[in-house]
Amino acid sequence: MSEIGARARQLDWAAQTDGRFRYTGDLPAEGVLRASVLRSPHPFARILSIDTARAAALPGVRAIVTAADFPAGARYLHEGAADRAPLADGVVRFVGQEVAAVAADDEATAQAACAAIEVRYARQPAPLGIAAAVRPRALHLHERPTGLCNRAALFHRRWGDFAAGRDAAARGVAGRFVFAAQHHACMEPGGVLATWDEAEQRLELWSPTGAPYYVVQEVAHVLGLAPGQVICREIGVGGSFGARTKVCEYEAIAAMLSRKAGRPVRLILSRAEDFATTKSRHAFEMELCLHGDVNGRLRAIEGDIRVDNGAYSHSGASVTSAGLKGLGMLYRPDGLDMSAALVDTAKPPGGSFRGYGSTQTGFALESLVDELALADGRDPLDYRLANANPAGTTTLVGAKLGSSGLSACLEACRDRLDWPHLRSDRLAGVGVGIASAVHVSGSHVGGETNRSDCAIDLFADGRAHVRFGSGDAGTGQKTILAQIVATELGLPLDRVTAEMIDSERTPFDMGSWSSRGTHYGGHAARQAARLLRERLTEAAQPELGNAPPRFEHGMLHGSGGSWPLGELVERCPEAKGGRLSVQTAYVEQAVEPADKASGIGNISASYNFAAHAAVVHVCELTGAVRLLRFVAAHDVGTPINPTFVEGQIVGGAVMGIGAALGEEVVTEQGRMVNGAFVDYAMPRAGDVPRVEAILVAGEDPAGPYGAKGVGETGINPPPAAIANAIRDAIGIRLTETPFTPDKVLGAIAAASGHRRRHQLWRRPSRWWISLVRWLYPRGLLDLLHRRVEGRFPANEARRIARIDRPAGLKGLADALREGARPLGGGVDLQALRQQGHPGPVHLAAVADVTELGGILRDEQGGWRIGASVTLKALALATAADLPVLGEAIGTVASPQIRAVATLGGNLLQEKRCWFFRNGFDCYKRRGGLAPCYAIAGDHRFHHAAVDGHRCQAVTPSDLATVLLALGAEAIVAMPDGGERRLSFDRLYVGPGETALGLGELLRAIHIPACAGRLSATFEKLRLWEGGFAIVSVCVAWEREGERARDIRIALGGIAPVPIRLGRAERAIEGIVPDDDAVRRLVGDAIDHIGHPLPGNGWKLDAACGVVRKAAARLRSLDARQHAA
Amino acid sequence: MADTATDLLRVNGRVLAAPTDPEPTLLHWLRVSLRLTGTKEGCGRGECGACTVLLDGQPVLACLMPAMLVRGEVTTVEGLGEAAGPLREAFADRGGYQCGFCTSGQLVHAWALLQEGLPRERPAAEAAVRHALSGNLCRCTGYAGIVEAVLQAGGIA
Repeated sequence: MSEIGARARQLDWAAQTDGRFRYTGDLPAEGVLRASVLRSPHPFARILSIDTARAAALPGVRAIVTAADFPAGARYLHEGAADRAPLADGVVRFVGQEVAAVAADDEATAQAACAAIEVRYARQPAPLGIAAAVRPRALHLHERPTGLCNRAALFHRRWGDFAAGRDAAARGVAGRFVFAAQHHACMEPGGVLATWDEAEQRLELWSPTGAPYYVVQEVAHVLGLAPGQVICREIGVGGSFGARTKVCEYEAIAAMLSRKAGRPVRLILSRAEDFATTKSRHAFEMELCLHGDVNGRLRAIEGDIRVDNGAYSHSGASVTSAGLKGLGMLYRPDGLDMSAALVDTAKPPGGSFRGYGSTQTGFALESLVDELALADGRDPLDYRLANANPAGTTTLVGAKLGSSGLSACLEACRDRLDWPHLRSDRLAGVGVGIASAVHVSGSHVGGETNRSDCAIDLFADGRAHVRFGSGDAGTGQKTILAQIVATELGLPLDRVTAEMIDSERTPFDMGSWSSRGTHYGGHAARQAARLLRERLTEAAQPELGNAPPRFEHGMLHGSGGSWPLGELVERCPEAKGGRLSVQTAYVEQAVEPADKASGIGNISASYNFAAHAAVVHVCELTGAVRLLRFVAAHDVGTPINPTFVEGQIVGGAVMGIGAALGEEVVTEQGRMVNGAFVDYAMPRAGDVPRVEAILVAGEDPAGPYGAKGVGETGINPPPAAIANAIRDAIGIRLTETPFTPDKVLGAIAAASGHRRRHQLWRRPSRWWISLVRWLYPRGLLDLLHRRVEGRFPANEARRIARIDRPAGLKGLADALREGARPLGGGVDLQALRQQGHPGPVHLAAVADVTELGGILRDEQGGWRIGASVTLKALALATAADLPVLGEAIGTVASPQIRAVATLGGNLLQEKRCWFFRNGFDCYKRRGGLAPCYAIAGDHRFHHAAVDGHRCQAVTPSDLATVLLALGAEAIVAMPDGGERRLSFDRLYVGPGETALGLGELLRAIHIPACAGRLSATFEKLRLWEGGFAIVSVCVAWEREGERARDIRIALGGIAPVPIRLGRAERAIEGIVPDDDAVRRLVGDAIDHIGHPLPGNGWKLDAACGVVRKAAARLRSLDARQHAA
Repeated sequence: MADTATDLLRVNGRVLAAPTDPEPTLLHWLRVSLRLTGTKEGCGRGECGACTVLLDGQPVLACLMPAMLVRGEVTTVEGLGEAAGPLREAFADRGGYQCGFCTSGQLVHAWALLQEGLPRERPAAEAAVRHALSGNLCRCTGYAGIVEAVLQAGGIA
């Protein structure tokens, strides 16, 4: 009755699917103080003074802590780097660094108290990126042992005989690759509940962690406690991916607050804090060169890597080292010669992240392996097969491959996709690519990282309970431990329970990192269960007899009889109180830590392999890359639970796909720009195909039951597999993640030599703007930024004091006169408050205002649509007559939003500029002489490339684009009870800003009857399913036989307000334009108005592209209607 | 002000008076006042879907709604009831979750999709589920397990 290989459910599945399973934020809150953290507004500054007096005087404040509350010089251990204090100690080195924290009766008080703490800073020029940090005159963030400015560590790796390999090679391929920082974005924001018991001098922590060992060690260390005084308790872990495999900064802060306040303290980060201030994946800049010989063999690897460490060393050195190791494990060249530098920058620090350096170096390596194969005229998959290591190989870095399924993985991809056929015969814009990866199954990095302990209790009622000291962040490790114990003891799985994390009740384990859970946990659980079997076997003697004992169905069977296990417990002399407990330590002997100087060593008992193949479609009109298929073949040895293994593979692959196609941490002035799900383009369900996971057969001699690790490998191949597929599709090699449409379209334009000519010299109205834009990076931005940096509170959201529910327009007008703001679906209200905008305190709900609802046809056949009609209702009501509205609505946000969001709210929503939204004190927020951060910052997606003025934002509404094309009017209720009408080309006066006056209300939209005669279609380019438009278009015309008349082309997302492309409309009028005519005439019209920022000129090409797509769709729509 | 009779709502079948405080969102009211902590806060601003609940059968985001304005029948994950058993089991069997934090929102939304009915052909059904659930972020599963679970519970092989 083996549970090995069974698709068992997670042990806690019932509670996990009915809402009972608890995470930190779900713990009872009675008597628990809430905490808030005061964070640095500066990337690099000395702290001159901190005055907490005013904050301490606020009613409800129970404790305030600063660095002074911690033992002098307290620093996290972090692999010996010891460079970070739990609260900034005299210096801040990144925006968002923790400076002080408050515990109070409620969250609002804690936040108010943080705002009342007065900190005086002396700002210093901050090295905000690798290039700035290594400049000769850059300021040092730390004094480092390297003695070099901002070099936290240097590496030089020479493995094998590099010179011989290079000399034997016939050709080399080289490239420069950049892997952007990626955020874990765990669905559960980071947080902890800390309870200090003064009488017992003991601290309890409920923290979602995969490694309670490190939490205990680090928190005890910085609080000046013995590790035995700090106890982690078991609690749900809402994701980790590396984020929670070391100490997190909130744990020690909450602990100190609790100790000072003498009360339990809960500190949960907001989503914005979680994004912008916790550790992310390290960005890598890599120069790599591969040398291959005439026989299709990779012979030598050389290059140089610079790793963005961020402001503190958490795992930077070991991530760099692991990334280098990755280059020496996959293939077997003669030699490798690599150097690397870990560079300190004044940005949020990097930390451990699934893939751990190999994701980054694997991208460069596997991109160049393709180039080497192609340069050689060989098939990239065959090239890899020829270079794949068989079992028994000792690789350059000393990895001893007990098993190797790389070839099998490559073959599985080939067979599943019919690779030869796809490579030779395919559709335009479609390409296929492959990439491989290898990963450890738990690194031995020194100390006791080759050891795991496990305890099992067997009760007299025949139940077994497993105690294991790491945390299960969703990998299923807890269930796997139970499956193993059930298998060894012959128990049904439902008789086995397990607990993890609790550092008092579970024995020693260093945690769930480095894909070690299966190997170490598996061996430890099996060893403990076998020890238990021995005890039980002894207890059954002498009656048991000499035949080999069998453990089945909860019984021990021997030649002399059978006993229920529970009964044997009673017979064991060691058993106490009806419980027999065993505990063992599994120590892996087959591994050694890598040699410090050379980096060589067999650090893992087994190595697991993968090959991923991607089929992509590259839209050459918009630059959008869409995955058509994705195959992920893995060699994990024996899968102990195939469902969990496939979950790790698919989840890892989609995270890697995210890194390839959308995810990156963008910063400006050291502050994260896109720290929100709406701005951080991680994959949604609609963005990815079903990843086809394949488990190739195999088992590893060193693994428990032949199993190997799997948690990290799946994230590594996708970036290179997709880059290789894009290369195959359009012949262009992309070298910087993520491959967003700007990079794709930019590369296509560069390859074709295409350039737009805007003839700005002919447009005097743009001269002043051009001058200001020119001045921005030349000192103007710095000047303006210095005026606002750190001057304003981070959070100005106010408590909502009153919500009226007027039943009619008159009541609404009265409320508005009293200063209320209309409230529709509330979609933007909560967003703005969470973003720290002040927001209204008095609201008037429009839901019951009948005059604002309803969709009516007037006598002429036009439509009058009330402003409070929801998007969902609007799409339903107009599906037959104006389907283009529903087409656009289907691309807006999510069904949940569309069900409540109103037409009025959609049209009047605030600009979505990510600087304005995410904490930047920009001109639109602070007025006067505050800067526009978009001009010199990252403005590739959501800023104007036409007509940008002082603010570069755009009007975000997609419906505005459609309604402009349909010739709609806004019906505005005036304060005096009258109505006025505004056509859509006069409704907007700026980005998300309208011509509505004080006290005026958008009452309805009128769409003229003639709109019903138009064929219309909507196209939108966005980064994720439901995302805001980078550029959108509504194209409409009326067909009269072979002619199209009344052409309308409305563009959104490209200018501060939605615009009609009048010049193109006039040129097209009277013909049905073919694709070439659209390209020419729309291109000409766009050239005429374009005035892009340095990084968003591609949007003009994309705008042409979406118009061409829309026009093509309209032509085929017409053809279909004609045929019908 | 509206009269008392209209200020009632039902949560998982329980009739309750709507709160009079304008500040708390439906999410906070559920979690703090009613102690229904199955509904999670992932972002608090309508971007992740973890707080999805049903309002009169329609999936909505509890973090966006002032609780005092909510009328009708609110269903949270705790209130899905026995009929949702096969859906919950499908999530457990098909790898429809890992860490479980987004799962309440996924389940509640999926339940509403099943009530509405899915296209009977698998490719169309899969596309419909993927499109509809795009507002429910998951960082663990890569969505395959979620989609398979919903299709299985919907009787689509």
